[in-house]
Amino acid sequence: MDWNNQYIHSLVLIVAITVAFLTIMLLVAATVLAERRVLALIQGRLGPNRVGYGGVLQPFADFIKTMMKEDLVPDQSTKFVFLLAPMIAVVTAIMAIIVYPFGPTVTLPFLGTFPLRIAQFDVALLYVLGVTSVGVYGIALAGWSSNNKYSLMGGLRSSAQMISYELALGLSLIGVILISGTLDIYQIVEQQSGWHGLQWNIIYQPLGFILYLIAAIAETNRVPFDLPEAETELVAGFHTEYSSIKFLLFFNAEYINMITVSMLATTLFLGGWNGPGVAQVPLLGVVYFFAKILFFLFLYIWLRGTLPRFRFDQLMDFGWKFLLPAAILNIVLTATFQFFVGS
Amino acid sequence: MSTLLFIVFAGMAIGCAIAMVSQTNPLYSAISLIGVFISLASIYVTLAAPFIAAVQVIVYAGAIMVLVIFVIMLLNVEHAEPRRRRLKFLVPLAVGMAGILLAETAFILYSVQSTPDRLAGNISNVGLTRSIGVGLFTGYLLPFEVTSVLLLMAIVGAMSLARRSTVLSSNARVVPGVQVLAMDIVNPRAVGDLRPVQTETTAEAAHLLGVDFQTDQNQPE
Repeated sequence: MDWNNQYIHSLVLIVAITVAFLTIMLLVAATVLAERRVLALIQGRLGPNRVGYGGVLQPFADFIKTMMKEDLVPDQSTKFVFLLAPMIAVVTAIMAIIVYPFGPTVTLPFLGTFPLRIAQFDVALLYVLGVTSVGVYGIALAGWSSNNKYSLMGGLRSSAQMISYELALGLSLIGVILISGTLDIYQIVEQQSGWHGLQWNIIYQPLGFILYLIAAIAETNRVPFDLPEAETELVAGFHTEYSSIKFLLFFNAEYINMITVSMLATTLFLGGWNGPGVAQVPLLGVVYFFAKILFFLFLYIWLRGTLPRFRFDQLMDFGWKFLLPAAILNIVLTATFQFFVGS
Repeated sequence: MSTLLFIVFAGMAIGCAIAMVSQTNPLYSAISLIGVFISLASIYVTLAAPFIAAVQVIVYAGAIMVLVIFVIMLLNVEHAEPRRRRLKFLVPLAVGMAGILLAETAFILYSVQSTPDRLAGNISNVGLTRSIGVGLFTGYLLPFEVTSVLLLMAIVGAMSLARRSTVLSSNARVVPGVQVLAMDIVNPRAVGDLRPVQTETTAEAAHLLGVDFQTDQNQPE
């Protein structure tokens, strides 16, 4: 088949985007179920295990139940922005997915040889950061447009947290960029294929990896940084007034964000699809890639079952007085190392 | 294909720009401005300048507009009143400016007729991150550093202005006689320091607080 033909190329892109979208959505459903089952395991309970074999259909049952609820719109709300906010949240969350390579170049029967990625471009990493920074609007506007004091405070808390940790998140990635010399995620993954697929950036960037992990958990509003929706203290924060499909969009956006930051950690620090044996069997790369993502998702759930929540002033102090200086220190150390030893 | 994309994003940019100016709700204006930034970033991508596009989104749409929206939300700015009456004298000026702009556009369209619509040679690597980085740190190092110093000055200036206004409010009065002041009132850098500082006379208290005692007394209560 002629893969360079413009129309075939567009068609392939559409198919690839659809496949990636469905994969992510299924992964979201699996994560929601896994979260409840694993949490139950940690807390010595059973968790939902009645719908389908072992509860596998529980997320879909919840989905239908939430869809059937009444879609409430507060009387005094700003209607247009109220509608726009969940869309911004979920669209920006999903847009980041196109830059991640799911696997190396593979050869499939009847289809030919093609790379398992949607887009490769020069500034992929900056694109991810840009899309993430636009995602803050979803939460800030949701809090404001509900015309509810508690929603507004929740939205402000949440966006303040996301803006603060976005800095540390961006700075913790600069070490990897200094080592790789490129912003192209596909090339960064390919550079980590040495030592039989085990030459991962985490070996050179242990501090950067830990800082990224902490900042990413804060950025996705998860325990122990889940102040925006601290269910035991606040009335759900910014999405208090949202119900039915709009609530579902926020819910989805949170889980998609978890998956995308896990993908970024995998591709930048853990070698993406690299692993032993990928050079011989390229399809193994897809397995490695998803195994690494599942590891991060499990880590999220594990942390939720283990750690208590920060107080808001502790959160801000930690972000600005520890995480940010540590990230800058990591940059200085990496730059010095690169100047005297590297390349 | 790229012409179609250009028309779509240019249309979005113009539509958002018009919405930004015509909205009475400041938050809607801010959202429209974000729309303008994102449409412009998309146009940059089609013009083979991905780095500029990414920076446009991160810096303008992601950082600066978040602050603007925060301020609008927290201050709860009311809808702007139509101020046509007060600004009426500006209408002839605006029409004149628009005429000049239209003439310039017409001139550009006319003069471009004689040049090829495709640039000669390979320009595809101009907008890439590497070439921009090399340019910034070699040929344009001095402007780059001067700009960063300028930004630093702005930050320090904003900090010092914000601090000075919080130390003493503009309607602070010196109470006549002997008094005891807390350390953090006298010295703005000793935040939270509540050790007492005793003053013997009114003039001494005024001196410590940096307030002109004489002019203060003349002000009405």
